[in-house]
Order: sequence, then structure tokens, then C-alpha cells
Amino acid sequence: MGSHAKAWLVEDESAREMLDRVLTERPFLLLPPLHRVPLRVGNVVELAGPSSSSKTHILIQAAITCILPKLWKGVSYGGLGHSAMFIDLDCRFDVLRFSELLNHRIMEAANGSSSKVGCHQKDSEAQFARMKPYNEELFALCMKRFLYIRCYDSSEFLATLKTLHYRLQKEREVHGVNVHLLLIDSIGAFHWVDRGSSSFPLEYDNRKSWHLQNVSEAAVQEIRRLLLVHPMLVMATKAVVLGNKYSTNELTWNYRKWSAVDNPYSRNITSDQQLPYREYMPAAWQSFVTHRILVRATEHASKLSLLCR
Amino acid sequence: MARLANLETEYPVLDSTVRNFCASHGIFSAAFAEQNDSSERLKEGIAQVLSIIDDMHQPWLNGMELLEDAKRNKHVFPTGIQGIDLLLGDGIRVGQLTELVGPSSSGKTQVCLRTASNVARNHMVLYLDTGNSFSPQCIAYFLGKTISPSSAQAKNQFLQKVMSNISCHSVFDIFAMFDVLHQLESYLRCQDGRGCCQMRLLIVDSISSLISPVLGSSSTLGRALMTSAGYLLKKLAHQHNLAVLVSFARVSSVLVWLN
Repeated sequence: MGSHAKAWLVEDESAREMLDRVLTERPFLLLPPLHRVPLRVGNVVELAGPSSSSKTHILIQAAITCILPKLWKGVSYGGLGHSAMFIDLDCRFDVLRFSELLNHRIMEAANGSSSKVGCHQKDSEAQFARMKPYNEELFALCMKRFLYIRCYDSSEFLATLKTLHYRLQKEREVHGVNVHLLLIDSIGAFHWVDRGSSSFPLEYDNRKSWHLQNVSEAAVQEIRRLLLVHPMLVMATKAVVLGNKYSTNELTWNYRKWSAVDNPYSRNITSDQQLPYREYMPAAWQSFVTHRILVRATEHASKLSLLCR
Repeated sequence: MARLANLETEYPVLDSTVRNFCASHGIFSAAFAEQNDSSERLKEGIAQVLSIIDDMHQPWLNGMELLEDAKRNKHVFPTGIQGIDLLLGDGIRVGQLTELVGPSSSGKTQVCLRTASNVARNHMVLYLDTGNSFSPQCIAYFLGKTISPSSAQAKNQFLQKVMSNISCHSVFDIFAMFDVLHQLESYLRCQDGRGCCQMRLLIVDSISSLISPVLGSSSTLGRALMTSAGYLLKKLAHQHNLAVLVSFARVSSVLVWLN
């Protein structure tokens, strides 16, 4: 018994070894334009912003960085070389714009490397013509790594999440490529529809009714389970309305209700973060998010401001 | 989603042993249950449940398949109005929902009629009219301007042919619109791929008069209806290769339309 107890005290690895191990197994994914935020697989990022503030554009840029290879036929593209999955709940994805951006990145990287050699105008044109079949091959390779699905309501979204593990296993077997990025466009897309349908009870009592909270909890549970087996970075966009006068966090509103001291809509709340918009996602999703980024357009250019938890 | 007991008649592999097993683990991601069991029958049952759930969502596509579908099916239709075509990049695109927003009497119905007349030359058009603003005379005028002068009879025949491509329905509330759209969906499901003259344009003029009556300040049902209408239109546009043009008169109480 004594020897067993001693066995508990023997260390597994030193802190330095642990750091080395974690940084190799789960390295930082520096995805532009969020390259200043150290994200790793297992993080859940929420991009919140009013409509037309480039949230989907950030997702697309992250996807392109993910699907481009690091190095291919001597040219460095600076990508991660993994697959990316895009769950489109907004159903507004434009594949032509996506392919244009991808082509642009490929040409940029190819031209960047050729300009380093320092060739003349004629040479660079000839090189461009020579590179064209390679670029097309790379383009096809990258596009095949981008997986896309549309969901027109919550039940389709949940069905997608439930069969995602099985789909990822198949992808791994068939293509041998891992999925590192899960992008969800507009996590709050079915908010009103789910809220509206909570008034319709289902026939059997032992089944859960279709509430907004239940749908959100089920989705969060599925993604959490998925992250255990397939470590991925999850990025979701959320459309908000800025400058709402009821700009208090839903959680702190509940807290205020129990303390029964002040008007729940008072703006002098003692929360650690005052959000400039009204949070409408249920608590299950709010506590699942690890990084929250607020995006908004200013008059001159897009501004990215960071509110990290 | 149906209960497993009800599915047994269709899929006999889901017998009581499978159902008991699923119930003991709580019927959820059957994929995780797979790791715990070695019995053939259970595996079959689980595979069956997975394939049923797989049918409940849209298929996964990769980037190349998406691109091919876009190039093959998602064409662009010019509206016939130069300025708008320039802004939209050659016209309205199949598979997308284009929204015309403006105050009243700013020409939205004119744009809708012009686009209808343009597209109806070669394809069928469905025009959902909410305010009795559809005018066959306008359409005949737009068509008359563009065809080359020929005999009156040939002109007449051409007009007949194009006008017969446009079907106009009056809808005065949102539930009637849902009705028409569901009927359209089942019609298009039988029609897809068959016949030379296919429906390619759906116009709703104007959708704001259907939505503002149901949209109170705090009603969730109104917003749920609005969101579902948007999704139904987007689904029709994408799956049946329609261009959808919707006009929207600016109403102050509506904060968020189709995001």
C-alpha cells in the first residue's frame, strides 16, 4: 500500500515538458485577420456585430487560410493545410466570391515568391502562364478541402451536428485530412422561429419540447462532444443590433431580478463587461463561448475591437 | 423526428433489442454508442438510425461541387434597366434573394414589371401581387419597345407567348403567401429537369404589406413568420434555381428583415 501511495507522488512530466507537448499537439492557429488573437483548437470564438460588418468575410478568410497548404511545389502559401467545415445557417454564402478570394490568395503567394527572385516584366508574364496549371491544380485541391452545408431550420442543424462525428470519420478515412475548423454562419439565425414554436407542445410528455433553450443546449452538447474526439476551432457569427437602450446582458438581468433592488433595465450594472448590444443567445451558448469579438464598421474603415473573456 | 418504435415498420432492423439499447444510452448521437458495442445487429440498427438522421439534413458538398453548381445553374438575368444591372453586376442572380427597398412611389413596382417582362421572353415567371399593382399594359409596353418592327400579327403572337409565361397571383396576407409558396414548391419538385420552359423568376411585390400587419412590437410569432418566409424564399431560390425579387416599402417598425 505504501508503494502505491508513493506512486501518486511521482511526477508525470515537468512544466516545461508539458508546455512543449501542448504547443506541439495544439499549436496556436494564427488566422488573419485575427492573427493577434492566440487561438487554439478547442476554443469557441463568437464574432458579434451588426449586419454588413464583415463577419462572414472574416470566416471566409479564416477558411481560406485553413485550406491552403503551408508549402506546395516550392511556393510558401502560409496556410494550415487542413479541411474546414462551413455550416451555413444564414443561407447567404456566395461560392463565386469565395473562389475569387482563394484565387487571389494563390496568385498573391505565387507572385510574391517570383518577385523575390527579381525578374523582369516579360519573365514574370511567362512565369504566370507557366504557373497557371499549377494554380488550377492547387485551387481544385483547396476547394475539395472546403466542406459546406446549408440548414433551413433548427432540426436540420441538429441533425447535421448529430451526424457530424460519423462524417468526420469518413473524411479522415477517405481523404486522410483532418478538419481543424468549424465555421457556423449566424448561430442566432433560428432564434425567432424557435422562440415562436415553443408554444406548440409535442404529443408525448416524456420527450423534450422544442424550446429555444433546449435546442441551444442540444447544439452546445453535440459540439462539446465533438470537440472531445475531433479537436477543432469553432468560429460562429452572431448578428446583433448595436446601441439598443436595453443593453444589458441577459445573465446579469436575471441576477438583478433576484436581488430585487433596482430596476432591471438600469444601465449602472456592476458586471465586469458592459456589452453595447443586447445579448439574446441562451445561457448555454453564452457559457460555451471562450472568445467574443465585436466587429463593427466605422465611417472610414472596418474596425475590429476585441472583447475577450 | 419520429420515435424509433414508429420507424420499425419501415426499417425492420430497428427491433426491440436495438431500441432498448438506445434507450439505455439515451437516444442521441448513435455514433458514440458504436464504440461500446460489438454486436452485429446493434451495429446495423445504429447505422440505420444514422442514415435516417442523415436524410433529415441537406447533403454536404465540397467547394468544387458548389462551384460547378453555381456555374451550371446559377445564371444571371438582366433586369433591363441599365443602372440597376450595373450595380448588381449584370442583373439578378439565380439562387439569391434580391431585395428592393425604398419609400413608396419610388419605382419598385416598375422595376419588378420590367424584370418580369425581360425574363418572361424565355422563362416562366411567377408574380405575387399584394397590392393590385400588376399591370399587363405596362408589360406590353416594355415588350413593345424592344421588339423590332414587324407585322402586327407577329407582334401579337410574340406578346401572347410572353404574357402566357407570366402567372400572377394576388395574395393579401402572409398565410396565403405561404400557401402559394408551398404549392409552388411541390409543383417545382415534379417539374425540375423536365420541359424546356422552366420557372426562373419569382417576384413578390411588396412583401412589406404582408409582414407589417403580423409584426407587433413584442410579438415573437410575427418575427418567426417573417424569418420563416425568408428561409422558404431562400430555399426555393437555391434548390429550384429561381431568382427571387422582393420589394419592400420602408416601414419604421421593422428593425431586422432578412439579415
